[in-house]
Amino acid sequence: MPKHEFSVDMTCEGCANAITRVLNKLGGVEFNIDLPNKKVCIESEHSSDTLLATLNKTGKAVSYLGPK
Amino acid sequence: ANSVTIAVEGMTCISCVRTIEQQIAKVNGVHHIKVSLEEKSATIIYDPKVQTPKTLQEAIDDMGFDALLHN
Ligand SMILES: [Cu+2]
Ligand SMILES: [Cu+2]
Repeated sequence: MPKHEFSVDMTCEGCANAITRVLNKLGGVEFNIDLPNKKVCIESEHSSDTLLATLNKTGKAVSYLGPK
Repeated sequence: ANSVTIAVEGMTCISCVRTIEQQIAKVNGVHHIKVSLEEKSATIIYDPKVQTPKTLQEAIDDMGFDALLHN
């Protein structure tokens, strides 16, 4: 599965949990959240646009860093 | 305008509170929102022609926080 890396402006455990919940709600994803470095790496067949739109739901500043 | 209080789980700090307040304030038909970290709740004043307690609860839930309506 393609891997995508995103920069997400997370500041605490609550942010990381919110990211976890929206991604699990979308489904079809495997991901790793790096809170200190504010990065989320997602392995999924969903397009990077779909993943970006999903992450944006949290209200955090999100940007796509590229495939990994 | 109507008012509803929604229980919100999963907030850990003031930045979580601000994120929810800023995001939900942008929702169509929401006049005012006040989120309390201590009480784990969000009180929203809204236009009942545009929103319902259920749609507001879903809006918070969609952000990744566990939102529940008291009945
Ligand atoms: Cu946070
Ligand atoms: Cu927080």
